Amino acid sequence: MTGAWFLVSSLGLVLLLTGLLLKNATLLAMALPYFVFSLLPFWRSLPKTQWKVHRSIEPDHIWGDQSCHMTVSLTNNGEALAEVTLTDMLPDGIQVEGLPTYHGNFEAGKVHVVRYDIRGVRGKYEFPGVEIIINDLLEMNRQEEFLPSPGTFFVLPAIEKIDKIKISPRRTRVYTGMIRSRESGTGVEFFGTRAYVPGDPLRHLNWKAGARWDLLITNLFEQERVADVGIILDARSVVEIRANGESLFEHSVRAATALAEYFLGEGNRVGLLIYGRFVEWTFPGYGKQQRAKILAALSKSELGDHPVFKEFRNLPIRVFPPQSQIVLVSPLLPQDLYPLRYLRAVGYRVLIISPDPIAFEKRFSPQDEYTALAEQIARVERNATLSKLRRARVNVVEWDVALPLWISIRQSLVERRR
Amino acid sequence: MILWVKRGAAVWSGIFLVALLYSHTEIAIIGGILNLAWVVDEKLRPTLSKFIRPSILMINTVLSAYGVLKGAPSILAVLIAGTSLLSWNAGLFLRRWRDAPLTVQYRYLKHLGVILAVGLGTGLCALTLQGHFSLRFFWAFLLMFIVGFLWLRIISKASRKESAR
Repeated sequence: MTGAWFLVSSLGLVLLLTGLLLKNATLLAMALPYFVFSLLPFWRSLPKTQWKVHRSIEPDHIWGDQSCHMTVSLTNNGEALAEVTLTDMLPDGIQVEGLPTYHGNFEAGKVHVVRYDIRGVRGKYEFPGVEIIINDLLEMNRQEEFLPSPGTFFVLPAIEKIDKIKISPRRTRVYTGMIRSRESGTGVEFFGTRAYVPGDPLRHLNWKAGARWDLLITNLFEQERVADVGIILDARSVVEIRANGESLFEHSVRAATALAEYFLGEGNRVGLLIYGRFVEWTFPGYGKQQRAKILAALSKSELGDHPVFKEFRNLPIRVFPPQSQIVLVSPLLPQDLYPLRYLRAVGYRVLIISPDPIAFEKRFSPQDEYTALAEQIARVERNATLSKLRRARVNVVEWDVALPLWISIRQSLVERRR
Repeated sequence: MILWVKRGAAVWSGIFLVALLYSHTEIAIIGGILNLAWVVDEKLRPTLSKFIRPSILMINTVLSAYGVLKGAPSILAVLIAGTSLLSWNAGLFLRRWRDAPLTVQYRYLKHLGVILAVGLGTGLCALTLQGHFSLRFFWAFLLMFIVGFLWLRIISKASRKESAR
């Protein structure tokens, strides 16, 4: 029954009661057209339905500002329907190009296809199903149904290319890679010399050293291997800054994505820890599958304000292999200093990519003397934190998010070495 | 097509209302103006027209009941009920499905026509039986025959459909 049915029935009932009360037969006669109208749902009940629904999302994941094609096909295996409105239920935050609805009649055995394009910001979107409203043509009867047809769709963070990051963890893995292992073997970088032993390749003989020592001396090369890299994404709400619709956390996610892409591309074993809401740990792995896992985790990552994870003191460092490389993406707080120095002290190599919160906030602040003074004060505090970390032999890349990440990495890591 | 059916029905309900309340000039004018607003309600804002549509149906019903109580011709009251229901329901259909295919429009008008014919016919039969509406025997018989036939048809169709399930 619908609102229209209630209106007509109530009018008929009011006329009937008034007619009975006032003993007026004309009012009773007047009520008859209304009653005939309100009897309609009982005469013409809606047909039984039988649906088959199929959803396809192509592709089921997209990058940044790409769009994806959604197709929902609905088959009517029941009786013909005079008026049907079907609406594909959309998750919050999704942008739609085209109409996710169909309105019209639906013949028995026919298939209707709803096609539209979707876009979204980084995240995981779940489509629950299709809502169907069946009306009779006079809107006296209505039936609502929900057909579950779940579909999941990821908008992955955009990937930024990184030129080169030089890392040197104390321990590497056995497979050949791009990271110097501090052990002699096959490689290209000179490592040292030793006395020739039969079996050494003759082309590695160091003739100059041999002439000086009157011995056969052979060159040693440093083995290049893959390493364990643990990426930590700081998702604590306390470090988040939002201004003008932009979020500093989104830049952190972008950096973590670029780093994961780079280190996996170099053949390393990469794990991801998202620290904030709870500990979201993606177990280390290699290759394309691991890349997909990490990207899915990053696309779902959200800020958290769990009191346990307010500081890095509770960082579960045991999940990272000992003496491996840790890359932390965090805007940093002064109180993070101690736990990070501890990480370095227990043998991890730590690289921090720190999106600059001061430069980020300054862009959206009024350009006056107060902002300049506030920036100076904040900068002094931040520089003190960063220099303490550098003194503890933690590599820090300070990243102004207005610039591409690779520029900041090159300036901080490559040029500093020179 | 349905738009013009709706407008025509609204105009006729206005005319019938003015005729019904002829002796109560102010009320007749208000009723007429409201029915004229109903003619073009699709041009108003959706929120306003959504409110106007059921309101005028209610007002028409109340005013025609008032007219009947004041001794106005009862046939006009039944006709107002019929035309008001037609205009109101056509407005509902247009709101949902403005660009309906012609076949759907015909099917809708057929459904609506049958229901209104049965409703109005039953009302008129009741008035005839009460003596409010004087018809010659042949016309009264024909009216009741048609209405009875329609009732039987509707009921038998419904029962056939139900038994087919």
